[in-house]
Amino acid sequence: MNLTKKLLIASAVSGLLATASVAGDMNLVKEGEKIFNTKKLGNCLACHAVNGKEINNPGSLGPKLQYLSSWPEKALYDKIYDPYSTNPISAMPPFGKNGWLSDHQIKALVAYLKTIK
Amino acid sequence: MLLKVVKISALVAISACTLNAGSFDTQAEKDRQALVKYMEAKFSNPEKNKSFFPYSTEDELKRVIKKGVKAADLAKGSYAYDSIGREQYDDINEMPPYEDAIDEGEVLYGKKFANGKTFKECFPKTDIAGDYPYFDNKKKEVVTLTQAINDCLVANGEKKWNIKKGNMAKLEAYFSHQSKEAGKKVAIKIDSKEAAQAYENGKKAYYTQRGYLKLSCATCHVQGTGKRVRKEYMSPLLGHTTHFPVFRLKWGNLGTLERRLEGCNKDEGENPHKGSSKWAKEVLYFMSYMSNGLGIDGPDIRK
Ligand code: HEC
Ligand code: HEC
Repeated sequence: MNLTKKLLIASAVSGLLATASVAGDMNLVKEGEKIFNTKKLGNCLACHAVNGKEINNPGSLGPKLQYLSSWPEKALYDKIYDPYSTNPISAMPPFGKNGWLSDHQIKALVAYLKTIK
Repeated sequence: MLLKVVKISALVAISACTLNAGSFDTQAEKDRQALVKYMEAKFSNPEKNKSFFPYSTEDELKRVIKKGVKAADLAKGSYAYDSIGREQYDDINEMPPYEDAIDEGEVLYGKKFANGKTFKECFPKTDIAGDYPYFDNKKKEVVTLTQAINDCLVANGEKKWNIKKGNMAKLEAYFSHQSKEAGKKVAIKIDSKEAAQAYENGKKAYYTQRGYLKLSCATCHVQGTGKRVRKEYMSPLLGHTTHFPVFRLKWGNLGTLERRLEGCNKDEGENPHKGSSKWAKEVLYFMSYMSNGLGIDGPDIRK
């Protein structure tokens, strides 16, 4: 079994446990949305459109984000923290590893991404 | 997948920088031809070759991005394939905002320094935009046009100019215009082992991830060409140096290639290298070589 799969399964389990507490936190979702759309913060919209949400002129350097509600939280966290962990040649910046976004900010983003169908 | 191939081949190109003793531009020429091939393949038919544009919408591939774009067209940057941007570009070019700057550049060219001499002493010819940067084999360094202009000022007891805008951009606009009128092309030479090394340094810098965003110039201007950051289509490395200085609507005035380079370098999340640094000059040497053979097309306008 490859590493990515193992990681996804492992995190799916831990994700299940955590969902209940996070999903209810609308403030966290709002905060995450703001980080996603603010240039000086995540600036994720520079590269990503988002399925089902109104994004102001999203870029196309990265994929349109969709079906993320079914992703384990840990997989989302890791993607933002360090995309190279699953894709060594990713064009996406490692927002956590480089110290740009804090643990709390990444968790807020994860809460927002979990609302993406 | 294709992205992978491109990135890997870029790496291979960097690591395979064996320098041939006989002809010093062998590797550079190979790189340039590979870049032309890549760009022409990418834009031959975007709607069909979707793998080059994995995240673009069907609609924009059909309606916006032009097909059959050739290397020579890319001197126009993203306006070579962004048909909506091109319309706005053509509109503005009906009354180009840089025309006065060309005239003012001509005046600067003929204006006497305090010692009675003029720029003509240093630059007897004016259609020279395509000949810079060159590698000075005596000084063992890359010399950009900007640097040559400042060297001329200093040699004549004058103060250096700001390398990003103002007089520098105006004089360069005049040189660029003269070169365009004369039908001059980019003609960068690599004629020594040291020159080839400077080229390799520039290439390596161009493909190296930098800043907290860990983006390389190539992420956006090789693989990224034709994709968007927000609504801005990214232009190709091929053709990047042909049309400077540019009047940027965002700046509201004319700026040099050095100014643009610093801007993009900053966007990558890095404390930008100065346009006069060894780093920047070697990157410009590499970039300019990639545009060899394309017609000089400046000054121009950009968003
Ligand atoms: C410079 C461009 C860029 C920026 C900025 C960026 N991304 Fe990405 N992102 C990418 C690319 C390219 C991919 C696809 C390659 C990969 O999966 O690593 C990607 C993939 C993803 C994925 C996986 C999507 C999937 O379906 O596989 C998620 C989730 C994601 N990004 C979230 C974010 C978030 C959240 C931010 C902001 C904090 C962000 N991205 C900022 C370029 C970017
Ligand atoms: C995050 C993406 C990104 C990165 C990384 C990036 N650029 Fe850019 N660059 C852009 C965008 C967007 C523009 C404006 C639209 C255009 O012309 O491409 C631009 C414009 C330019 C232009 C002006 C093109 C023209 O025709 O007017 C030059 C030259 C340039 N970049 C060079 C560089 C260099 C050199 C680097 C690395 C040090 C770099 N860029 C890194 C996104 C990027």
